[in-house]
Amino acid sequence: MSSLSTAVRRTTLYGILAAGALLSIAPYLLTLNGALKRPSDLLSTDAWAPAHPATSANFTAVWNQYGMSSFLLHTLAVAVLVTVGQMVFSALAAYALARMEFPGRDWIFWGYLATMMVPQMITLVPLFLMMRELNMVDTYAGLILPTFLGTPYGVFLVRQHFRTIPKDLEAAARIDGASTWSILVRIMLPLSRPVLATLAIITFVNTWNNLIWPLIITNSDRTRVVTVGISALQGEHVSDLPHIVLAGAALALLPLIAVFLLFQRHIVRSIALTGLK
Amino acid sequence: MTDNMSVAVSSPLVDRGHRPPAVPPGAPAVERHRRRSRIRATVEAYVLLAPSLAGLALFLVAPIVGVVVISFFDWNLMGAPHFVGLANYREMMGDSEVWRAMRNTTYYVVLNIPAQTVLALLLALAMNRKLRGGKAFRVLFVLPWMAMPVALGIVWSWAFDPQHGVVNQFLALFGVDGPAWLSSTTWAMPVLASVNIWQYTGYTMLFLLAGLQAIPESLYEAADMDGAGPVLRFFRITLPLLRPSMFFVLVTNTIGSFQMFDTVYVMTQGGPGGSTDTMNYHIYQQAFQLFRTGYASALAMLLFAVILLVTAVQVLYFRKRTVYDFS
Repeated sequence: MSSLSTAVRRTTLYGILAAGALLSIAPYLLTLNGALKRPSDLLSTDAWAPAHPATSANFTAVWNQYGMSSFLLHTLAVAVLVTVGQMVFSALAAYALARMEFPGRDWIFWGYLATMMVPQMITLVPLFLMMRELNMVDTYAGLILPTFLGTPYGVFLVRQHFRTIPKDLEAAARIDGASTWSILVRIMLPLSRPVLATLAIITFVNTWNNLIWPLIITNSDRTRVVTVGISALQGEHVSDLPHIVLAGAALALLPLIAVFLLFQRHIVRSIALTGLK
Repeated sequence: MTDNMSVAVSSPLVDRGHRPPAVPPGAPAVERHRRRSRIRATVEAYVLLAPSLAGLALFLVAPIVGVVVISFFDWNLMGAPHFVGLANYREMMGDSEVWRAMRNTTYYVVLNIPAQTVLALLLALAMNRKLRGGKAFRVLFVLPWMAMPVALGIVWSWAFDPQHGVVNQFLALFGVDGPAWLSSTTWAMPVLASVNIWQYTGYTMLFLLAGLQAIPESLYEAADMDGAGPVLRFFRITLPLLRPSMFFVLVTNTIGSFQMFDTVYVMTQGGPGGSTDTMNYHIYQQAFQLFRTGYASALAMLLFAVILLVTAVQVLYFRKRTVYDFS
């Protein structure tokens, strides 16, 4: 193949990739840029015109006067708790399903698989009624409980990984007198760091971004999370305070970008992991 | 949850196939010991499973049973529920808004999935060339995956604003007068789909790239020797061997798309004129704004049935053509 056509081909490939990359980050950049503009500039300049002069007033306003600081705090608390619960309880269940023999195991495993397919909307009405009976509407317990004990997906993901760990390691530890608990903590978990990181990231992101359950189960500022908070902001103020709404959206997006930049290697690998059998 | 060691050593924790040889007759002590350790292991397993199983039973299985039961009742959450038999299902069959929501949802899925998959495949093919900087590109492509859909809805509403939005400002550079996207019954749904396409193309690309990388180089070399051109190689080698990855992304993305909610809720509330009223949004409104819990439950059953059906069709289509290991 001639070097000219190789060069053309290479340029085309880079062109495709660069266009994709630009499209991936453009919404973030435009949002940040818009949120830094003065209200009058936001309405009078092109979206790509740099914020000049840039102002942090929109951010401070949405943070202090429109409750963004407490929304973010609530979301953070909920996401951390749910992630911790998911990791602990999924790992315990996964170990039993992956490595122990007991009557009912296969039935239980199929139960997890079957419920994984069920759309979330199916469960919402009964779940809401249940929480109402338990007086947990508009409480943190109500927000957290449905996913705190782990999801079938979490159990499945970890169980599949546990099954790939050589059994010899465990058998050797058993002969040395190790208990189930210490095998789990000393052998299985340390050998499962990538899959546990995957589960942590996915659970955290899903909880952070979740709208529908908080929308149903909370109804006051005391428990309001970011998704519900900014969608209310959009509903009430999109026409009179678009700069505030945009700053709110930017603040909702930024923390996960920070998480992403910190753990980017893990995250890219994580996503690939979830596609494995 | 700790246990004593003598039990642990002989407990049948080893998997099938590694079972210790059968006890010779006339060893009742050993037999008894083994039975006791088996009981012990069972108790231990259920202790480990207990929290997760409680969650499964209370927050998934019970609600699933609950939704079936509630779908036979008329209940506004205030008074007592009335048993109405199949009345909710009969009403659903004749409810033109439900059929519209079903059509809208299908339209959304059809806008979404092919565009997303084709774009992702293109990117994956480009990425598979192992160009310099590939890793950096990969990171950038995955960035949208974790964005909050509600926040994206706000950003997209602004971007597609007729006057102040970047889309129409950009079109104006070419002298094109862009429409009022979100208040147009023609354009609102494609705009909603574009959020999802933007968000999941890079994510889908990662799976397809992993699939491409698993295709042995030797196949392409053999095809080269047989004089097969790039087009033939793509259709005869790449696509067929990519089927397991394709299966995974199509099934999971389709199930996800059928359940879209956040962007409708933030951007259009089902409008204009019901043109973006999707099933999930419609169910939400019936259940939590109009408090028709029985009817909403029947609608949720319909949505579930449709998702199951579509998934089954995809599984059957792919099963004939690939071996996909579910274990």
